[in-house]
Amino acid sequence: MADLTGIKMVWLELNGCSGNIISLLDGADPGFDYMISSMVDLVYEHSLMAAEGEEALEHLFRVLDQDFILAVEGAVPLKNGGRYQIVGNWQGKEITALEIIQMLGERARYVIAVGACASHGGVSAGRPNPSESVGIQAVLQRRVIQLPGCPCHPEWFLGTLAHLIYFGEPQLDEEGRPVFLYGISIHRRCERRSYFDQGIYATQFGEPTCMFMLGCRGPMTTIDCPIRRWNERINWPVQANTNCIGCAQFGFPDAMEPFVRFYTLESNLTEEMVEVLEDE
Amino acid sequence: MSEKIIINPITRISGFMEIEVTVENRRIVDAKTKGQMFRGFEMMLNGRAPLDAIYYTERICGICSTAHSLAATLALEQAFGVGPTAQGRYVRDFMHGCEFLQNHIRHFYQFTVPDFVKMPENYPLYQTNFRDFRLPKEANDLLVQHYFDSLPFSRAAHQLLALFGGKAPHNHGIFMGGTTARISADSIVRCRSILQGIGDFIENVMIPDVGTLARYYPDYYENGAGYGNLLSFGCFDGYPELGTLYIDPSVSVNAAAGGTVRGLDPGRITEEIDYSWYIDSVDTYTPFETIPMDDQNKEGAYSFIKASKLENLSFEVGPLARQWLSGEYRRGISTMDRYIARVLEAKKIHEILLTLLDQMIPGPTGQAVYITPDSARGQGLTDTTRGALGHWIKIENSVLDFYQIITPSVWNLSSHGNDGSPGTSERALIGTELADEDRPAEIGRIIRSFDPCVSCATHVFYPNKEPKFITVVP
Repeated sequence: MADLTGIKMVWLELNGCSGNIISLLDGADPGFDYMISSMVDLVYEHSLMAAEGEEALEHLFRVLDQDFILAVEGAVPLKNGGRYQIVGNWQGKEITALEIIQMLGERARYVIAVGACASHGGVSAGRPNPSESVGIQAVLQRRVIQLPGCPCHPEWFLGTLAHLIYFGEPQLDEEGRPVFLYGISIHRRCERRSYFDQGIYATQFGEPTCMFMLGCRGPMTTIDCPIRRWNERINWPVQANTNCIGCAQFGFPDAMEPFVRFYTLESNLTEEMVEVLEDE
Repeated sequence: MSEKIIINPITRISGFMEIEVTVENRRIVDAKTKGQMFRGFEMMLNGRAPLDAIYYTERICGICSTAHSLAATLALEQAFGVGPTAQGRYVRDFMHGCEFLQNHIRHFYQFTVPDFVKMPENYPLYQTNFRDFRLPKEANDLLVQHYFDSLPFSRAAHQLLALFGGKAPHNHGIFMGGTTARISADSIVRCRSILQGIGDFIENVMIPDVGTLARYYPDYYENGAGYGNLLSFGCFDGYPELGTLYIDPSVSVNAAAGGTVRGLDPGRITEEIDYSWYIDSVDTYTPFETIPMDDQNKEGAYSFIKASKLENLSFEVGPLARQWLSGEYRRGISTMDRYIARVLEAKKIHEILLTLLDQMIPGPTGQAVYITPDSARGQGLTDTTRGALGHWIKIENSVLDFYQIITPSVWNLSSHGNDGSPGTSERALIGTELADEDRPAEIGRIIRSFDPCVSCATHVFYPNKEPKFITVVP
């Protein structure tokens, strides 16, 4: 297997909150400095690069005929011919997010959708989807590695990147997610699982028991938050006494709402919840 | 003979914007700041369960998501008629303060330093043709070192936030009634330990570093002044036990010329849309009145960012406004003063966090079952990292029926007012003399001094003729 250490990388920010690059900066071991000095040669990143204007775009165009990895956060707005997001102006021509993702996406060795918006539209495509945003797979003819999450945990990205560099493409599920990260549901490994098994449910936030009846989406969300936890493993939403809102599952946010449900009684369980109670 | 200069993308900010300036005899005579992305949160929120706004609006912005969770919570608490417990408020304000630290450290080192310091060229990320780098080699090398040294400290600020909030960005811990987190002695001492490192870094590294920039770029005290009108909604204020730790809601018109500092009436806030891509039956309105719909083909408009006003005037918001209005820093109003005020504010916030920690008592902070009213309205106003943030909500049939958001960057990056007057940062650009028209360093430096967040500023959209969504709340 070829070692791709030092390969060029472009990180594109499209229609979103730019929270995935902030989340990436929260990564430690490897940290951002290790990533750019010992893993990849980062040539373009909107929030961090020194150049601006046309000079910045030159960095982007220079990579086109080279071997590179493309990481993308944010969705692609299709409204008004894509003009709902302009990412730069090249010699008087405004370049849309749609144009740039298609230009780079078909040429990259690997494309990684980082976070919910790039993976499937996410919050940027929340109903009624005013900007007509879609995930990047919808506008590319090639396979995209999907890392849904809002934001993407830095280790999900850096772990995937490490796999690509040292071992090639990781095993992906049928929706393009790396199995080593997205293979097991939150519910299966939740630290409050024993309360669920005994039917001991919290009725409000702040209680130490199972939050299934408050609307926890842990059973429907496959990702490793319970064992990986966040921000150098200091905490995660369930330990902060709130339920999982399913941010790492396709369909977030619309399919996960309402996020919080007070007063869920046995009599008004959703079909999905009944299934969980039967299966688990 | 005039010439247009366009810079797009403006990098090292959150989100996407274009700057277009008109230059005559090397002097900027006109400026347009153009917000160039759009998602439409105000329309998305319509019809959703009210409590979901806390987590949903966080996604407006990845670098200041905590601010939105707080403003949404404040608006909901007013609508629901509940308030935070004392302990709950200490914890959630602590989380908000951690976001200030994360943001200010990152803004100074990752967004600002590459404007003034020659970064190592062996990284393609840091290659640039800019020539106006003035630090002697030794000082330059030191700031490059500090750029990388700063990374663990901004990270640690987010870690502190996550200690109570579950994760960052996009925390879960800020909620109705204060916070969902419990306080424990081990959390308190962990916070103290992490804060000690951050405090030492701010005091011994970050403050001297901004001093270095000011020493070699003193001409930046002379540009970027703008209107000099300052506004804050207040933050870390009005604690029953502690009083105000930072700043009460306040404004000053023409502050540098001796304008008095006084309170403000949020009822006199308006938005104007003649020069932005929105249409409505009115072109100026108060926040509870209406939300215009988008129209990118509108004649004469050039931005997705509206123009926000108080008493029909444009205002600057953010760290310099707060430092000035609270009397902490009054050297002047300029590009460099903005950078200095942001760094000094990091020290101030660090002190406030220690004070809040002193108040915390181990145990639960107080949560309840919150029942959504059938019909209510609320406003949540708070100052946050980049300045004054407001959420205005209406609830009908127990779902969100109206959601207005005015972010700090709408104030700072306003498009022209209806009378054609430039927005706050546009005004700050006008009059600037460019040393090198081919590579104008001044424009980016002035704009970045406002710490723009375009993701925040361009969230809006709401076709008010749209049929209402009906959501069943279990």
